[in-house]
Amino acid sequence: MRDTWRLALSSAIAAVLCAGVSSFAPPATRRDGVPAMLVSRQLRESQKLSIGDVVSLSSEPSGAHPRQFRIAGEYEPIPDPMRLGAVRHEVRLHLPDLIEMTANPADPLAAESVDALNVALPTPADAASWARETAARSPGLVLRSTANDDRAGPFIVLERFHLAIAIVTVIASSIFLLALMLMLVDERRETVGILRLLGVRRRRILLHVLAEGLVIAAAGAALGVVLSVAFEGGINRFFQWRYDTALVFVRITPAIALRSIVIAVPLGVLATLASSWTLLRREMFSLTRR
Amino acid sequence: MRALAFAARSLVRQPGRTALGILGIAAVGALLFDMLLLSRGLVVSFRDLLDSVGFDVRVMSTDAAPLGGPRVPHASAIAFELAALPAIAEAVPVRLTDAEASTRGTRPIGFSLMGMDARGRRPWTLTAGRDLGRDAADTPPSLLVNRLLADALKASPGDEIAVRVVCAADRAALPPVPFRIIGVAAFPFDAAAERSGVASRASLAIACGGDGGDDADMLLIASREGYGPDAAVAAIRRHRPDLHPATNDEIVARMQATGFTYFRQISAVLSTITLLFGFLLITVLMTVSVNQRLAEIAAIRALGFSRARVAADVLCQSALLVGCGGVLALPLGIALSIWLDAILKAMPGIPSALHFFVFEPRALMLHAALLSVTAVLAAVYPMALVATLPIAATLRNEVVS
Repeated sequence: MRDTWRLALSSAIAAVLCAGVSSFAPPATRRDGVPAMLVSRQLRESQKLSIGDVVSLSSEPSGAHPRQFRIAGEYEPIPDPMRLGAVRHEVRLHLPDLIEMTANPADPLAAESVDALNVALPTPADAASWARETAARSPGLVLRSTANDDRAGPFIVLERFHLAIAIVTVIASSIFLLALMLMLVDERRETVGILRLLGVRRRRILLHVLAEGLVIAAAGAALGVVLSVAFEGGINRFFQWRYDTALVFVRITPAIALRSIVIAVPLGVLATLASSWTLLRREMFSLTRR
Repeated sequence: MRALAFAARSLVRQPGRTALGILGIAAVGALLFDMLLLSRGLVVSFRDLLDSVGFDVRVMSTDAAPLGGPRVPHASAIAFELAALPAIAEAVPVRLTDAEASTRGTRPIGFSLMGMDARGRRPWTLTAGRDLGRDAADTPPSLLVNRLLADALKASPGDEIAVRVVCAADRAALPPVPFRIIGVAAFPFDAAAERSGVASRASLAIACGGDGGDDADMLLIASREGYGPDAAVAAIRRHRPDLHPATNDEIVARMQATGFTYFRQISAVLSTITLLFGFLLITVLMTVSVNQRLAEIAAIRALGFSRARVAADVLCQSALLVGCGGVLALPLGIALSIWLDAILKAMPGIPSALHFFVFEPRALMLHAALLSVTAVLAAVYPMALVATLPIAATLRNEVVS
């Protein structure tokens, strides 16, 4: 026995959520006929397990009645937003092995019972009608389409939360932009006054300001997209490291980049126009007066 | 004239610019305030929720999260043993399971069913009917339901319903058992759309055909006054080393290390960004403003104002902008936090009594401190500009231009 440890195991295929004391068997004692299992990457790394190791698992908190399994491979658990932050110490067993380990010998039905059956339909669109018909034929069964998987619920809520934060940020940025543009335009008061005195029309000056605002806003929006793409990898790597998960936290898609530009550019142009308009409305002599 | 009054007049001279600056700071400050509320809100709220139940220690069979591990066998005997310890006032085993309820002619409605032999403390608030007690012989077992379940069943206290309990994952569903609704209660851990009920553990065991009759998902422990939860945990560990007790603080700490970290991280990231944004906003506003007033500043320097005095004027302007924006940020932030809290509470399985944004005096102090530091830092560059301003050259340039 090389080490003894206590594990919380969870299996995706059964409700054995916790297992007790397990122990390593040295490679020399490996026997043929030991059932195979997969371990999650997190479990393998934290317990320094190796492919080919034989470990003992028990479904009892005390670690009683252990069974030996050989680690046949490692897998990356399916990222689950509901379990973000949870330590994914999991193993996957063949169903008969799991039932043999966990079934109550006094209950003849236990060896025939499972938590769920995954069904793949030839036509996924028929899921709802098939579920209705099957439920009518087999009262007591709960049939749920994976299209209605509520595991995405937290992410949908987080998306709404991030959108709300984005709205507040855009409002704050717009105010900032407007204040900045007001000051910059005010700095050009005399220049605008001289242009007006030279006979340049308001419309012409406004067009000039509009073009300038458009260029500045487009450049700013493009820089924002470039910055977010540059940060994307770093943010993902940080959060994937922090939560030990394969979940992707930030993904800058062309649609998102386009949406950002579509919001940012008109806002920038509007801020430029609004700030310039206050200046252009004034009498030309008041613009040149010091 | 004092620096603050002088700065106030300088700001009032340009009302549009000042108003926009204050509004910008208010928006940024509101977001910062909310992030500070979010950073510890869930933890504070979760602790309050745990404490509100009246039990300060939970006992599980493993170190797994509450309700995440195997059940505690022989729970009644263990509860009896633990309740006899001097540090413990009450020990109550709790079993939680899923169930389906139906009235005559209606479709079954799923709900969470708690089995609990409540004595003194009860982790629910009765809103109608009567509370759980000893059931009379030859009558259906009593059941308390929450308002959502009562409404879904169109049932009221006194009605009899059929309940089918999902006793174990590896067991076939048992036939429904009649229960009598004796009251309606509010359960603190219920999610907004959750239907739930509570019955005695004995009646739950009967509904399960005696399966796992004395198992419990956990034991709720109330420490005796004068001992406290830590003493109760120590006593349990000494008496039953095979059990895994945890105080409310320990459970919160565990949750903080796993489930709540996302919001802390988000809060830290957004707080940093908002502070940076606020810093940039004030710095740019002040710098541009100072640049536009270079001649004026050179003139007042020539009139005898010291470098320190004009620098103080800029610092006071920054402080006034941030101060006014910061004060305005508080009501804005509270309104925003209510909106954001409502968004986040739509997350599945979140108890409706849990809040993501919780006000603490600490958050207010931190908000004020961070904004003050931002005001000072943002004023550094414009202060340096006015302090090093060459008076004669600036005035000459102004005259020549």
